[in-house]
Amino acid sequence: MSVMLTKFESKSNRVKGLAFHPTQPLLAAALHNGSIQLWNYRMGVLVDRFEEHEGPVRAVNFHLSRALLASGGDDYKIKVWDIRPQNRRCLFTLHGHLDYVRTVQFHHEMPWIISTSDDQTIRIWNSTSRNCIAILTGHSHYVMSALFHPKDDLVVSASMDQTVRVWDISGLRKGSPNNGGPGGFETFDTFSTVKYVLEGHDRGVNYATFHPTLPLIISAADDRTIKIWRMSETKAWEVDSCRGHFNNVSTALFHPKHELIVSCGEDKTVRVWDLAKRTAIQTFRRENDRFWVLAAHPNLNLFAAGHDSGLIVFKLERERPAFSVHQDTLYYIRDKYVRSYDFNTGADLGWLSVRKFGSPYVPPKTLSFNPAERAVLITISSDNGSYELTSLPQQVQGEVKDSSVDGKKGSGQSAIFVARNRFAVLQKQSQLIEVRDLASSVVKTIKAPVQTNEIFYGGTASLILSSTSTVVLYDIQQQKTLAEINSPPVKYVVWSSDGAYVALMSKHTITIANKNFSQHSLIHETIRIKSGAWDDSGVFIYSTLNHVKYCLPQGDHGVICTLDNPVYLTRVKGKTVHCLDRSARPRTITFDPTEYRFKLALLKNNYEEMLYIIRTSTLLGQSIIAYLQQKGFPEIALHFVQDTNTRFELALECGNLEVASETAKTIDRADCWERLAQQALKQGNHKIVEKAYQQTKNFDKLSFLYLATGSTDKLSKMQKIADTRNDPMSRFHNALYAGDILSRIAVMRDVALYPLAYLTAKTNGLDELAQEILESAGLTEADVDDVPSFGLSTLKTPPIVTTTTDLNWPAVSTGQNFFDRALENGSLEGGVEPAYVNGDAAAGASSALDAWAKDEEVQDDLDPEEGGWELDADGGEYQGAEPEVEDVPQEEDLPGSTPGASETEHWVRNSPLAVDHVCAGSFETAMQLLNRQLGVVNFVELKPLFLAIYRSSHTYLTPVASMPPLQLHIRRNPAEASLTRVLPGVVRSLASLRYELSEGFRLVSGNQLAEARTAFRSVLRALLLVPLSSDDEAKQWRELVTAGREYLLGVSIELERRRIAEEEPDNVRRSLELAAYFTQCKLQPPHAQIALRSAVSVFTKANNQADAARFAKRLLELKPDAKIVAQARQRIAAGERNPRNAVDITYDEFTPFEICAASYTPIYKGSSAVYCPYMNAAYLPEFKGKLDPLIEMTEIGAVASGLPAPW
Amino acid sequence: MSVDSSELYNVKRQFFLGSFKSLIDMPLPDPSSADYIPTLVYKARAQIATDPAEVASLIPADSENVALKAAAALGRYVSTSEDAEQEAALEELRDLAVEIEGEDVEGSQRDKNSVLVLAGTAFARAGDVEEALETLLVETEDLEAVAVIVQIYLSINRVDRARKEFERAKQWAEDDLLLQLIESSIGLVATRDGYSNSNSFYTEQLGNPSLSSPHILTARGVTRILRNEVPEAKSDLEESLEQQKGDAETLAASVVAAGIDSKNKDEAEQLWTRLTTEHPLHPLVVDVAQKGDLFDEFCAKFTVPPLAVPAAA
Repeated sequence: MSVMLTKFESKSNRVKGLAFHPTQPLLAAALHNGSIQLWNYRMGVLVDRFEEHEGPVRAVNFHLSRALLASGGDDYKIKVWDIRPQNRRCLFTLHGHLDYVRTVQFHHEMPWIISTSDDQTIRIWNSTSRNCIAILTGHSHYVMSALFHPKDDLVVSASMDQTVRVWDISGLRKGSPNNGGPGGFETFDTFSTVKYVLEGHDRGVNYATFHPTLPLIISAADDRTIKIWRMSETKAWEVDSCRGHFNNVSTALFHPKHELIVSCGEDKTVRVWDLAKRTAIQTFRRENDRFWVLAAHPNLNLFAAGHDSGLIVFKLERERPAFSVHQDTLYYIRDKYVRSYDFNTGADLGWLSVRKFGSPYVPPKTLSFNPAERAVLITISSDNGSYELTSLPQQVQGEVKDSSVDGKKGSGQSAIFVARNRFAVLQKQSQLIEVRDLASSVVKTIKAPVQTNEIFYGGTASLILSSTSTVVLYDIQQQKTLAEINSPPVKYVVWSSDGAYVALMSKHTITIANKNFSQHSLIHETIRIKSGAWDDSGVFIYSTLNHVKYCLPQGDHGVICTLDNPVYLTRVKGKTVHCLDRSARPRTITFDPTEYRFKLALLKNNYEEMLYIIRTSTLLGQSIIAYLQQKGFPEIALHFVQDTNTRFELALECGNLEVASETAKTIDRADCWERLAQQALKQGNHKIVEKAYQQTKNFDKLSFLYLATGSTDKLSKMQKIADTRNDPMSRFHNALYAGDILSRIAVMRDVALYPLAYLTAKTNGLDELAQEILESAGLTEADVDDVPSFGLSTLKTPPIVTTTTDLNWPAVSTGQNFFDRALENGSLEGGVEPAYVNGDAAAGASSALDAWAKDEEVQDDLDPEEGGWELDADGGEYQGAEPEVEDVPQEEDLPGSTPGASETEHWVRNSPLAVDHVCAGSFETAMQLLNRQLGVVNFVELKPLFLAIYRSSHTYLTPVASMPPLQLHIRRNPAEASLTRVLPGVVRSLASLRYELSEGFRLVSGNQLAEARTAFRSVLRALLLVPLSSDDEAKQWRELVTAGREYLLGVSIELERRRIAEEEPDNVRRSLELAAYFTQCKLQPPHAQIALRSAVSVFTKANNQADAARFAKRLLELKPDAKIVAQARQRIAAGERNPRNAVDITYDEFTPFEICAASYTPIYKGSSAVYCPYMNAAYLPEFKGKLDPLIEMTEIGAVASGLPAPW
Repeated sequence: MSVDSSELYNVKRQFFLGSFKSLIDMPLPDPSSADYIPTLVYKARAQIATDPAEVASLIPADSENVALKAAAALGRYVSTSEDAEQEAALEELRDLAVEIEGEDVEGSQRDKNSVLVLAGTAFARAGDVEEALETLLVETEDLEAVAVIVQIYLSINRVDRARKEFERAKQWAEDDLLLQLIESSIGLVATRDGYSNSNSFYTEQLGNPSLSSPHILTARGVTRILRNEVPEAKSDLEESLEQQKGDAETLAASVVAAGIDSKNKDEAEQLWTRLTTEHPLHPLVVDVAQKGDLFDEFCAKFTVPPLAVPAAA
């Protein structure tokens, strides 16, 4: 059994003292050569060394909460050190012991240090006053160790006098410590008394310590035994001994978490004992080195042992919890219980005990979960490896199920599910892979094609085999290697949630491969890789000892955050990493995924997303800029940079002259202008070139540029500049470029180049001037006789063909990219505009009202109003009764080829609702039901609805090729297995119709009444065919029908009013009546406002001021917004000034009335009326037996039973 | 039962998981190999499932092998709509089914089994359930025949029989993919577990790295429809349609899914129009058309009174 896992090792002089830092990965080692080493054992680096003791150091201890280290040595001194990185130094030294100091320890809450010495005393020091506050005397030989009790005011000490003593120091806490100095030693004894003297060891005792919680003490002695002692309030006695060391035992410790004792000794072994049984569990042996000291980490499963030539840090068991993720649930093992953790709700439940599986000291190694069977397959490394297959209970029980009840066990080093009814087990010795069924019997045995150390799931019926230098994808069914990748031994495998990618993790590498291993990339890490999980976007997130990192599919990786302690990632969701910590407790880490999201977007050329990230995040800094530049996206990097110099560089790189010239202005250095000029020249942007040349006073180039662009005025300006600068060369050039012969001659004369001046004048026919030059040179014609005659120059200044100077035609198109456009449209600083504004109902409606107020102009664009009605609120889903699986009591005795009853027949039998009959294709019964229940007589309009519903109630599949496809029936409740209860699926739900109704409302707000009428009709028709399954749903259904009716009626009335206003403009009276009735329809407040405002406006126009005022008052009750309130008040005031009505109408708002949906006339309370059997709309009696005009489907006044309630 | 070679195993698996295209593209083994005839039969059947007209070119005209002859006959049956030709093909299959009982027939036991399966398939297509069952039901120990039998039972709502046949096959059949396929088909018609077995089966097959079949994606999509997981179903079906443009089964399932409680009615109608034009003979199209006629018929039975209109004012 090898469960001692070495995490760190160092070589040094003999180690006599060791101490773990309580929170940081630091270990202090006291060395025999006088130095104290401070190690970071996780990173394996020596952090510091303290060398101030003279002679061997034996004692070290960290303060639990402060950055302090105490040490003691053979120089009799106790030193206290500041260990903060910046000021590591000795703070003070405690003098007093008269011989070697053996151990030191800080008290957990008081400012005390306890020390022991070969001077036979134990001393307690106050580290604040730096005085000795107590001396415990009584031991009659060297005191080898003394430790405070973790809670009580007790001390336990061990001595060469063969005793262990327990001291009561409660007096120390009460009394003010004596500061009497060296003279008053006697008084100390009043504060501390020996409580028990434990005698039993036959030789000197090296170490004794309290149990962290129980009243137990263990001691380690030169008599080669470890003794366990128990204390009560009044006495203490020996319980038992652990025998096994065959030389002096140096230290014995309680395991901080488990019922174990760990000891080490001069027999070169570290041993682990069962505390309860006092039996040895395991022994770890070193070849040559005696062990001198052992230390346990206070919280973690971590130990350190010091020996003759160094130290080791080790774990006793694997900490990696066994776990498996299925959808949103994590199945994991903590303290040998299989638990589940729901990522969404955080519900953490215990399901199964696996305490009896394998060695009780060894935690399970892996867990494989089978969702189809709800079974777990667990492996453990004890007993040479074994597995256990158990199913999880369906529900959490009071008493947790124990796996030994029905678990199936077997031996094997690695075991995983490969299909829902198969699992594979690796027998490492024989290199056989067994495929077993759920009864654990072998179905198939496969010889591993390579030396296999571990197997992992490789997709259905496939395995990933981890070998020493390769990893193999292997198909079990075909028994064939599908692919092989070189990799160090793979230790863990993580599949992406869609099964498209897999991460193969070894100690220092991660291979990301696709599902058939045809593509892969490798990442190397120097720090050990611990775990990983896939992000939903296909990014692999992994943890090392000290970091959480990401890795993109093409292999780019980077750090997301640092970790104090290793964690095991289980799932990544958005900004949250779910993980298990070292004690297998679920935790979450929130991180900022911006960086990798951005890089991913960059890889995928998803510019929208990149822009969104740039705008909304604080993604900045050199690393991202360098990354972008390196990946060839300087133009994007530009948007991150504030620094002018970098902006300039990037702008040049991506050819963004605008930014470049702007930044150049700010920088204003000659070299920048030059480079800008170069780049601008390349792109043909001569304006910027010109500006750059001007800035650097590069006259020559400027002149040449003007020549090249044909800018004659500028050239002449350059001439003037050259004149003032008095630079003959420049003057000459400019004159030449400008074709200015006189100037040229003048320059040459000025510099005394008379011959050239003469010839120039001569060849250009300027004879007089030539003569003048001759004269000024003091010559005559005769003197230049021998000069040949050149004739007249025919050279002319080239004409300007294209006036380039006015054009700026960049020869290199930089092409405006997405980012430039985005930048132009709005600055990056501004937040991103929400894609869709879900305005609240009131606001939407009131702006719609303004459209209405414009005296019914046709309004084209609709208001996006659709909130208000809380249409998304859940309508209380119907919860069916618990499904019971019943066997189908079928026509067992029928001959084989006789067809059985179809599912649709059951549907028809099981439901009295028309819609279910439609689903079943039984249209005739469906129509009869609608007729009987709701008085429907005209079905023509329902045909598309019937067919659409029927169409989506069945689906087809052909399992065996070329056979006629099977018709499959879609059930409402897939879990329902009893044919006497099955019902068809829901094709149209109440929720979807509620949504459609709201669409109608939107049309009303948008003043598209004809469309609104169509929408309401369609909703009311569809409501005939909605499946209902509870009283609550039936109530909602009725509400929807009523709301639909009121709107349909209202809209119809208003349409009629508009028709009359147009076709019979003189019929003001009818128009007013209809406007008034419209306000009587029960509409939602925003729409009721519309009706009222319309009425106010129509009545005002007809000079019915009194009525208008009454509508305005009603309008006010609906609390419209301020503008409308003002208008309404005006109307009321006008009505009060002039309380008259010009037109007399039939409208008595004080007697309740219904509106006849056919004639649009009031039916006052008390008058007789007939009703629509479906919508309950009212009609005048004369319409009885007619077809309803609202949806044109029901017979008015027909007797109908109403909807049955089958639930 | 003899054990198939790895190649043949793969061929068979591709066929039953509907990976027809890669099966058709697969090279044939050497004609002298024992795998030659079975491979050719599966290839022919894959061809029939995708483009039956091409089957003739696949099978050597002079072949005397009964399985190949049966495959060719089924191909003819499926590719024609002429009654006479169909009847001739059925007749040939009937003859072959009888012929294999005799001694001197060219073909192995496996080939003979294939004849029965192919004949049974044709009879089932022709709607002659009785004959199909009679042909196949010789207490067979051929799992492929069981698959056809089970599907026939399911099509006539005889889940009891289908289950019985499956349970019986479990006794002698090996742990076989086909057996799982049969179980999953039964599960789709008469679920006892909320379709989770079928769903797991298809999901599992999709996870198989050495196979890819849009047919399985469609099957899972259909299963998801049955599980009322409509958005997930749509995603499967869309992916499948991308891989096999215009596949009737996938298109039909997409129509169904699009129509379930959808806010976008046009989507369903567009898909429906596509299905009715591209596959006018798909059972869904035929069935809905029939229902439409029935609707008109029933509709006419109701007397519609005149619309309530107010007398002219």
